[in-house]
Amino acid sequence: MDWAVFATIAVPAGTAGLLMAIPSRHRDVVRYVALMSGSSLFILSLIIFGKYQFDDGGYAFELQLDWLGNVAFLGEKGITYHLAVDGIAAPLVLLTGIVIFAGVFMSWNIEYRNKDFFILLFLMVGGVYGVFESVDLFFLFFFYELAVLPMYLLIAVWGSSTDFGTFVRTKEYGAMKLVLYLVAGSVLIFIAIFATFVEAGQGSFDLPVLGSVTYGENFQKTFFPFFMLGFGVLAGLWPFHTWSPDGHVAAPTAVSMLHAGVLMKLGAFGILRVGMSLFPEGAAFWAPVLMTLGVTGALYGAISAMAQRDLKYMVGYSSVSHMGYVLMGLATMNEIGINGAVLQMFAHGVMTALMFAMVGAIYDQAHARDMTIFGGLSRNMPRHASYWAVAGLSSLGLPGLAGFVAEFHIFVGTFQADYIWAGALGILAAAITATYILRMLAFAFFGPFNERWASLKEMRIGEQFGGAVLIFFIAFMGMWPMPFVDRIAATVSRLPGIT
Amino acid sequence: MGMDDAWLLPAVPAAAFAALLLFGKYLPRKGDWLAIGAIAASFALFIPVLADLLDEVGREGFAGVVSGTDWVEFDTFNLRLGFMVDQLAIVMLAVVTFVSTLIEIYSVGYMKGDPRYGWFFTAMTLFVTAMITLVLADNLLLLYVAWEGVGFCSYLLIGFWHERRSAAEAAKKAFITTRIGDVGLLIGIILLWREAGTFSIREIIEFAQDGGYSAEYLTTAVLFVFAGAVGKSAQFPLHVWLPDAMEGPTPVSALIHAATMVVAGVYLVARMMPLFVVADPVALDVVTAIGLTTVMLSATMAIVATDIKRVVAYSTMNSLGLMMVALGAHSVTAALFYLFVHGFFKALLFMGAGSVIHGTERQEVWELGGLARKMPLTALAFAVGTLAMIGIFPFSGFWAKDEIVNVAADELAWIVVAFLVFSIFLTAVYMTRLYLLVFTGRPRDDHAHEHAHEAPPVMSLPVLVLAALAVIAGFWAFDQVGRALGFPGGIGEFVFLDEAQEFAFPVVAAISSSLAAVGGMAFAYALWFGEAEQARQLGERFRPLYKLWKNRYYFDDAYQWAINNLVLVGGNVIAWFDRNVVNDTGVDGSAGLAVFSGFQMKFSQTGRLPNYALAIVMGVIILAIVFLAVRV
Repeated sequence: MDWAVFATIAVPAGTAGLLMAIPSRHRDVVRYVALMSGSSLFILSLIIFGKYQFDDGGYAFELQLDWLGNVAFLGEKGITYHLAVDGIAAPLVLLTGIVIFAGVFMSWNIEYRNKDFFILLFLMVGGVYGVFESVDLFFLFFFYELAVLPMYLLIAVWGSSTDFGTFVRTKEYGAMKLVLYLVAGSVLIFIAIFATFVEAGQGSFDLPVLGSVTYGENFQKTFFPFFMLGFGVLAGLWPFHTWSPDGHVAAPTAVSMLHAGVLMKLGAFGILRVGMSLFPEGAAFWAPVLMTLGVTGALYGAISAMAQRDLKYMVGYSSVSHMGYVLMGLATMNEIGINGAVLQMFAHGVMTALMFAMVGAIYDQAHARDMTIFGGLSRNMPRHASYWAVAGLSSLGLPGLAGFVAEFHIFVGTFQADYIWAGALGILAAAITATYILRMLAFAFFGPFNERWASLKEMRIGEQFGGAVLIFFIAFMGMWPMPFVDRIAATVSRLPGIT
Repeated sequence: MGMDDAWLLPAVPAAAFAALLLFGKYLPRKGDWLAIGAIAASFALFIPVLADLLDEVGREGFAGVVSGTDWVEFDTFNLRLGFMVDQLAIVMLAVVTFVSTLIEIYSVGYMKGDPRYGWFFTAMTLFVTAMITLVLADNLLLLYVAWEGVGFCSYLLIGFWHERRSAAEAAKKAFITTRIGDVGLLIGIILLWREAGTFSIREIIEFAQDGGYSAEYLTTAVLFVFAGAVGKSAQFPLHVWLPDAMEGPTPVSALIHAATMVVAGVYLVARMMPLFVVADPVALDVVTAIGLTTVMLSATMAIVATDIKRVVAYSTMNSLGLMMVALGAHSVTAALFYLFVHGFFKALLFMGAGSVIHGTERQEVWELGGLARKMPLTALAFAVGTLAMIGIFPFSGFWAKDEIVNVAADELAWIVVAFLVFSIFLTAVYMTRLYLLVFTGRPRDDHAHEHAHEAPPVMSLPVLVLAALAVIAGFWAFDQVGRALGFPGGIGEFVFLDEAQEFAFPVVAAISSSLAAVGGMAFAYALWFGEAEQARQLGERFRPLYKLWKNRYYFDDAYQWAINNLVLVGGNVIAWFDRNVVNDTGVDGSAGLAVFSGFQMKFSQTGRLPNYALAIVMGVIILAIVFLAVRV
């Protein structure tokens, strides 16, 4: 099964290549190729997640191909195409598979240049898998960029602009801001990678090699913030989060799903995999800052979401809020909290993907997203309403759904790390989440039926299926979290500097 | 089948819920039989558990039986699906399973013909499942899970008729208000865990009794836990959701008020009572103060309320406050005894009210009247419930309420007792008023009166069963009755904190409370019997007081004001800040700065050789100066 990890990158890359060869007039062929590819990625991800042996929490499915070595400053194994999956990456690989699979269903009705759309989408997915699976910093960085850049075209071409009455947030603006922001973050990452490379003096970019070196305390303290901020931008770190609501709102449905569901996790994953595992002392030094920014984001995102009338902006700000929890979990520097952070990455991934999918499903029909102009929609769209409810209840932390398991770990970890104030504020933010979720449900789906929307019908069957897949995982993790916890805990307990 | 198998009690209705959720639509009668059967099975399973407990309970050092399995586990951290059966849990289970069964049977009649009939039973089943789990949980995490589950089900059911804006709003209000309390509960739970390293209730209590927590820390933690109880049990200042919760169908109100949900808070405090005892006394003083405030607020608001269900809802708040006062006097026995009998007569009152609403399609008392002749069974049952609620000898409420007055007299300040006795007077006033206005006098709405009919047997039978229990349940106070039923003695010998509580019956307390009750009834009779002219005049004379009560002490208005002017405005301020300061100034500003500096810099690229030559010369001169300065 060692080829499975390789395949998760080869399949999307191959799909992109194959799609290029298909004449664009064959729209249905394009769709079915995308569906085939999405399904196989889903299955591959399930296999990787299921087959990962979590006894010792080490790397599995390892593959190392020499790429560049013995030249100039590089040692013998200078840059290698080194792929592997550990207990932290395994759930995130699964998450990627789930979201792209559901995303294909949500993109079924795209008519405008759907071939180009899927080419870019699958390039991006390949990049995402690459980041989760790369153990070589050079390739990790390469895939990181690959995951970010197609976003520009996807948003600018297939996105939508939002008219606020007094001003307009155009899709071009959203795309530009998102990409520039993330590229600015990757400049910091780039600097830190080279600094680490030079400091380690091993002539290699391989993470296990770099991790075997002990870095000076001052060096760690200096360069951990580069990773923290660089990756943090993509994780929606407050106050560098504003690309996220505008970008997600402007993006087409499947792209919002992937971006909020999976790409934001790349940031948190990067902080954990690169920053915290290489520089434990630096992380310990900066943890209070990360905790403060994380809890600020959680609270601030929730309050901002409460003031939104646009469904998609509400979901966008709720992502900022939930990613704040992830950063809080990382900042605890203890096993419970970091477990919670990884659990939250998965939980937030599926539930936010579901929310964006539902926004898309209603926007396709109504061409409106203002929750206050709807009313009583559950009469004609009961299933749509209940999908919203499941996603919303998970995000407000209802036990039995994924969000609770994750948030509970994060809160416990936060208290254990003596950030009692932060934990208390985090719990308060979860209560605020309840207000904006229930407010949205009351506005859009309950109350007297608004005849203006009498023409709205239940979601397409494909959308229902895609949503059901996401709901399955929300409920699965909420009720039986052990498959996730086993894998995550095995690896987290091996991380240096974790209490 | 014994106490080890107690997990079956929630598991059976949970399985029924799953079946109903997935296949309910395809079942005959939309699966109502499955829902009722599951809850009834839960009650049936309760009986062998009880029998097993009664075998064990006499044994030295018996403190309940724990069973269960791990849910999440790694290294030193574990979360359990653990169940514990002890006397406290048993009393709760008796109320929850039995009353829920009756309410579900009653619902068959009440909800007949509703378009979401099946969904109603599905949600009710989940509600009961969550409540049974809550009662059986041996650890705080599972308790919290079930606690939230109860809150969620109340959201579903209060908002059952969500096409009505008021129902959707009431559901939202209930969920969010209780959720505010839950913030405190979760903080409290994690604070307790932080020092003890376990979520197990028993281990936390042992840890506390061994002095593991410092007094201030423990007091803070238990007060946070109590915040959860305040929300769930509708105590001041989080009581505002309960009167609105009657927007749900009446069986839901009965379930919320009698068997599930609101008593969860009382149960929680009773369960954690050993912690309150170890903590600073101020913790229990807070419980007493909050409970007493709730009693007085609700008893006065009920006097002017005109919706039949709303009056009964206030009477629940009143009762819950009494239980909290009992707990404030650290008497688990008195609180649980009241909770036990309250379950029966409160369900009875709500189901009676439901029969009235079902028969007349009215619920404003000023549109009702003279129903005793049309609905004699309901009137009789409602009268029993009323007398039990007032606490007239020998109805069950009498014994339970007297027990609370007793323990309050023993443990608390005389002023508390005085207020309690006064509240008994008020209770008698508003309950008698309600009965008089609904069942006696002249029919005020002829159409409703003509329309009125007795409820079908499927509704009236459960009501009669409850009426019988509302009369006799209080006799469990006596040792002889308890022993005859197989218990070691009266309830005081069965549920207690540290040592069995003798059933005390001081005549002074009984007489003063009875006098207050009878006085209240007489007072109400004088005011409201017939045309209620005197009551109207009294209302005119004390206009400000009337308005204060009528407007519910302006709590709802104040909260609404705070939401509109603080919370929502705050949200808008943050959103504005995010858009204009963080984004447009911070982000676009730095982008603008880059564009602007690029624009300005381009003018230095003149393309003329003299400019470049000048720049080179200037550069050399500056470097030379710097160089010299550093040298010197």
